[in-house]
Amino acid sequence: MAEDNGPAQNNSATDQPPQPPLVEAAALSAAFVTAIRRAGLATSPDRAARLAEALHLIPPARLEQLYWTCRVVLVSAREEVPVFDAVFAAVFRGNAAPARPGSVPGAAAAPPAPAPPAPALRTRPAAPGSQTPGPAPGTPQRPRLAFPGRDGSAEDGRTDREAVLAMVSADEHLQVTSFAELSAEEVAEVRRLAAALQLATPLRLSRRTRTSAHNTASLDVRATVRAARRSGTDAPALLYARRREQRRKLVLLCDVSGSMDPYSRVFVSFLQGAVTRAGAEAFVFSTRLTRLTRQLALRDPDQALARAAVSAPDWASGTRIAECLRRFVDEHGRRGLARGAVVVVFSDGWAYEDPEQVAAQMARLRRLAHRIIWVNPRKAAPQYRPLVGGMAAALPYCDAFVSGHSYRALAQVAAAIRGEGPPSQDTHERARGKEPAHAH
Amino acid sequence: MTAAARAGAEEDVRRRVPDVGSLMAALDRTNYLADVGLATALFLAVRLPQPILLEGEAGVGKTEAAKALAELLDTPLYRLQCYEGIDAGEALYEWNHQRQLLGIRLAEVRDTEVTETDLFASQYLLRRPLLQALEHPGPRPAVLLLDEIDRADAEFEAFTFELLAESAVTIPELGTIRATHPPIVILTSNRTRDLHDALTRRCLYHWIDYPGPARIAEIVRRRVPASSGPLALQAAAVITRLRTLDLAKPPGISEAIDWVSALAVLGVERIDPGTTEQTWGSIVKNRDDLELVGSRGAAWLVDGTDG
Repeated sequence: MAEDNGPAQNNSATDQPPQPPLVEAAALSAAFVTAIRRAGLATSPDRAARLAEALHLIPPARLEQLYWTCRVVLVSAREEVPVFDAVFAAVFRGNAAPARPGSVPGAAAAPPAPAPPAPALRTRPAAPGSQTPGPAPGTPQRPRLAFPGRDGSAEDGRTDREAVLAMVSADEHLQVTSFAELSAEEVAEVRRLAAALQLATPLRLSRRTRTSAHNTASLDVRATVRAARRSGTDAPALLYARRREQRRKLVLLCDVSGSMDPYSRVFVSFLQGAVTRAGAEAFVFSTRLTRLTRQLALRDPDQALARAAVSAPDWASGTRIAECLRRFVDEHGRRGLARGAVVVVFSDGWAYEDPEQVAAQMARLRRLAHRIIWVNPRKAAPQYRPLVGGMAAALPYCDAFVSGHSYRALAQVAAAIRGEGPPSQDTHERARGKEPAHAH
Repeated sequence: MTAAARAGAEEDVRRRVPDVGSLMAALDRTNYLADVGLATALFLAVRLPQPILLEGEAGVGKTEAAKALAELLDTPLYRLQCYEGIDAGEALYEWNHQRQLLGIRLAEVRDTEVTETDLFASQYLLRRPLLQALEHPGPRPAVLLLDEIDRADAEFEAFTFELLAESAVTIPELGTIRATHPPIVILTSNRTRDLHDALTRRCLYHWIDYPGPARIAEIVRRRVPASSGPLALQAAAVITRLRTLDLAKPPGISEAIDWVSALAVLGVERIDPGTTEQTWGSIVKNRDDLELVGSRGAAWLVDGTDG
């Protein structure tokens, strides 16, 4: 259909004007891609080939131009830019300062790396992996994992628990005991159970339709005509378009601050199960918010948790609920993640923040989400009242308020996600602290 | 499937876009101001076989970049706005069944013969953007914009990429249509979900940063001819100051353009607190934000001082 089938698809590399060979593009690409990979970014051989081709098209006459060429080819998400900048600076600029300071707000500036005085361009980017520049995800200051058996809180109350233990089976015991009191092995067992909980969000009508013989508001003309064509009759059976139903999105936000430490080791397993089995989106927060969906999507729970812990460097520190909720709503929720979704927050509501801030952010989340479920393990204590500033402020915006402190209570969380949770007036009463909350 | 079918740029395209600098100049002539980073990204998208994924805050000009590129190459832009539930019938092609029926009825009335080949001729084919981009006869490749690819589901993403990698589509009734000029593909995403690794691996990538006040002013001047003089620069300063506030919906470049257009319509030549308060609706579009900005005061917005 084209008028000329001339030089349509020949290789661009063949008839380039001759260019001064500043560097051997292929060698430079291979070496730089290796450095990038050592710093933890995803690369592949075809990326290196692509970079060589790009460098051939855009001769790197200036460092800025080289920077952009490499970045466009090698980076595939904004989060990778700081790491890329650090590696680029270390390799080509001969220092470890971030190449473009402040280009990504909120991203950690590159920590100082041992800077080999590598003069740019003409030198081979020598032994790029010998230094590990930049905040390579996965290398430095490995934060401690939150889940291995904690001491302290597990000790008190151990004796009378022993007595109860003698009477109930191991299973039963695991079902009802608070996660805070479990030993490391028991936690491992509960984590397996928690990850296997069936999670299903309520249904909503999807934009997709399916053909149906039952009468609905809209006729599926195309399906009707197709069917008529097949059968060849004049008076075909009418077919209708029926909106399909689809599960609502599920978003889990888990507080992994110090005060939640005994519980978060199990909750994160719950998150992982939700991500792998129910396609949920998972975030953890303490002083800042970290999206963990990707890290948790691995089938092997231990590996997934280890990766998650590495990705969230503020694991087991303080809490800033309002700030993290704000970030969630701004950067993810409003863009569509929380719209019409079931949002589950795992937190004890302890934060050093103005409760009004928490209320304001919860109000914003409320306007986006279909249901908000708050899981607070402290609710299990008989004398508990949701009076902590942040918790009291958040509660009016929640559809369900559950404890989730034991395996059985986690099953209640699953029920709440399905929409079978306690009715909302119950929530409001508890917010005013009228009746003692019961765990199970 | 792994190898892209576009083996690099064609002669004509290479002549039009010989290097990054000339692409920047050409973009400038279409009134799209690009920095070196974006120009490099677009240049590589034109000259390499890979599609490019553009990301950036709302309103930084992702879609405009595709339009400008199409304009400077003097080639059509086919835009596919993705949404949840989009399928091949809406993206690629569909048979126009109503028209086929009508064709049969007409043939009966006129007492003429219709064969199956007549009914599945190309005039009964509804071409959607993907097919249009593939069928584009040249002389230069079309620009195909897959807008907000993150809204479509992962299956659609995979299907689209398969198709683009092959640069060919088989319609059972018509046969295989192979692109003579495989399109230049630009994707945008708002990151409502993580895109699949397979997609990001195949794409070039560029994050468009929000520009500084001088560039905003320049863009506004280009778009709103009436905003000569200090108006554009003043507006850019206000927008930049607004963005330092913790807004839920920080104003983008399009808001700046809308606002200056509004001011121009009102005959305003200099921005002062009064006119700002009158026209807040063009730049602050969220009640919480409006309260926040109101508490900060219009005077601060206009000249950076309190009171």
